[in-house]
Amino acid sequence: MPSLRKILIANRGEIALRLLRACRELGISPVAVYSDADRGALHVQHADEAYRLGPAPSIDSYLRADRILEIARKCGADAIHPGYGFLSENAEFAEACTAAGITFIGPPASAMRELGSKTRARAAADRARMPRTPGSVRGLTSPEEALTLAKEIGYPVMLKAAAGGGGKGMRAIRSSEELPSALIAASDEAARAFGSGEVYLEKLIERPRHIEIQLLADQHGNVVYLGERECSVQRRHQKVIEEAPSPVVGAELRRRMGEAACRLAREAGYVNASTVEFLVDEAQNFYFLEVNTRLQVEHAVSELVTGVDLVHLQIAIAEGKPLPFTQEEIALRGHALEVRVYAEDPESGFLPSPGKITRLLRPGGPGIREDEGVYEGWDVPTEYDPMLSKLIAYAPDRATAIARLGCAIDEYVIGGIRTNLKLLRRILNDPDFQAARIDTSYLDRLLAKSAPENTEVTGDTAIADAATIAAVLFAAPAAASPTSQAQTPWQQDALQRGLHGGLRR
Amino acid sequence: MTPLLVEVEVDGVMRRLSVDRQENGCVVLLDERTIPVDIYEPMPGVLSLVIGGRSYRCVRSAMMDEETIAVGARQYRVAVTDRRSLRGQRKRPGAGNGALQIKASMPGRVARVLVTQGDTVRAHQGVVVIEAMKMQNELKAPREGRVKELRVAAGDKVASGQVLAVIE
Repeated sequence: MPSLRKILIANRGEIALRLLRACRELGISPVAVYSDADRGALHVQHADEAYRLGPAPSIDSYLRADRILEIARKCGADAIHPGYGFLSENAEFAEACTAAGITFIGPPASAMRELGSKTRARAAADRARMPRTPGSVRGLTSPEEALTLAKEIGYPVMLKAAAGGGGKGMRAIRSSEELPSALIAASDEAARAFGSGEVYLEKLIERPRHIEIQLLADQHGNVVYLGERECSVQRRHQKVIEEAPSPVVGAELRRRMGEAACRLAREAGYVNASTVEFLVDEAQNFYFLEVNTRLQVEHAVSELVTGVDLVHLQIAIAEGKPLPFTQEEIALRGHALEVRVYAEDPESGFLPSPGKITRLLRPGGPGIREDEGVYEGWDVPTEYDPMLSKLIAYAPDRATAIARLGCAIDEYVIGGIRTNLKLLRRILNDPDFQAARIDTSYLDRLLAKSAPENTEVTGDTAIADAATIAAVLFAAPAAASPTSQAQTPWQQDALQRGLHGGLRR
Repeated sequence: MTPLLVEVEVDGVMRRLSVDRQENGCVVLLDERTIPVDIYEPMPGVLSLVIGGRSYRCVRSAMMDEETIAVGARQYRVAVTDRRSLRGQRKRPGAGNGALQIKASMPGRVARVLVTQGDTVRAHQGVVVIEAMKMQNELKAPREGRVKELRVAAGDKVASGQVLAVIE
């Protein structure tokens, strides 16, 4: 297959910009698509070509497979990169691309189908001799079947949607009385969210860690794993902090998990980048969870510790090139941590906080990477996921990476909207996080404790004093910038600007 | 020049300051202490203060009717009090009998309207549900009263700060 010359990026936000930059680095022309809400977005500004998709709601824009294909054909794109979310795990879309003679940068539709459904993936995991949680490998057909199965594997159990993700259609069940009604609720929720009410049951692992293996597979049958990422810091099954390597995975466990993941990819005929997610219990047993048949949000931490560019490799694989390294050549070096910066207010129940970014001061320094999708003056739309950017730190060891990331958060200023930066800083400061005593319920436990007050954090009041003084100076700006005419009463100046008439004496 | 007296509420604590502007900054009298402050404004909304050799970068952020000052990773909610209004004219939400507006806290779409004009509402009763970023946010009556005006209907798009209803 000849080299790709023009790639349409069927996504928005930080990932669209990250993909666009990769295209440029490779001398490939990037094409952006956008909804009405995103006309002013960074990915549109940075692209070679940009085409309107439709109104703001995703269903009318970024999920319009027909429009995206039509644009790709018209502008002469050879390939489409779907990013994550939106159409990235849509097998029909991948098929439609192939039928239109456009390369879909991702797995073949058949592998996506095999691994995208959780029940089918569990069956494939069995064929790949991969440990998984005890439970069903197909959808439940009746409450009786669920009760029998739950009794067999023992409570507590989890109900999960076969087509699921993001915690929807998921229920933890601790006794048989809860099961029948929870089954109906989970199935209804799954049907609404994913268009399929198929629900299965598995053993609930207590206090698990979420650890996932990054895979790359080329079209020539080579499959490699690029170490693991630990993503145990989660809220409502959404990852908040990710890191590589996992503080608890040693060389032997990494090899066993990595090889199991590679077997599954081979079993499913997988090509391109994917992630195999596992739960790891306190005794370091690992259980297959699910496969993400796309590039992950948190791919950057793997890039930093392995020194590869996953997007470049995704494109090379799509071009038919063999992987440029073998498993033995992959070495992990240093430690990387990522925080997801969201436009949300953790102090008001994590309510989204869209709006205009009035001030943006970015962090810098060695080992700091920011994958951003926003700029000063950008109005964060209400229609999409409220992630603003990913802040990533790389350092020789975990403690230094935590310190670097903490300093970067302190430097980072996002004004005009509320963000979760303060909460992220709190997690990095937490002794349990620093000691890597984390599991998937860690963040809920932390949030249940009251947040330390400003004065408790600093131990002195000087910073509050500075804030107090600044507040007054901001309210009467003339005080902040002394004029050459020292005799001009600054109160009068403030009055002329219409600020705080009451400041008059 | 006579120094200026201001009251500031910082994280809920009321503090009194007197600010006397000098050549390269100002002298602040804060809680009986005299503090010389060196001021530099690198850009609007950002102040670099050097106080006794310590450096603080203070960034102002205003959201709706609330103002915060960020110093490093710490954020302080502040309200500079207008001295005149302290003399008793200030209205607090939830008190008094005047009409109160319920405003959208973020741009979005009206998912449901839970009352009709003329209804009597209890304090904290839901009035309008706004959907933004796939989340629903119920806006409640700040105190008991009667729905005097209802300015939106289900399906309407609303801007941040837009008045949705008036309670009297």
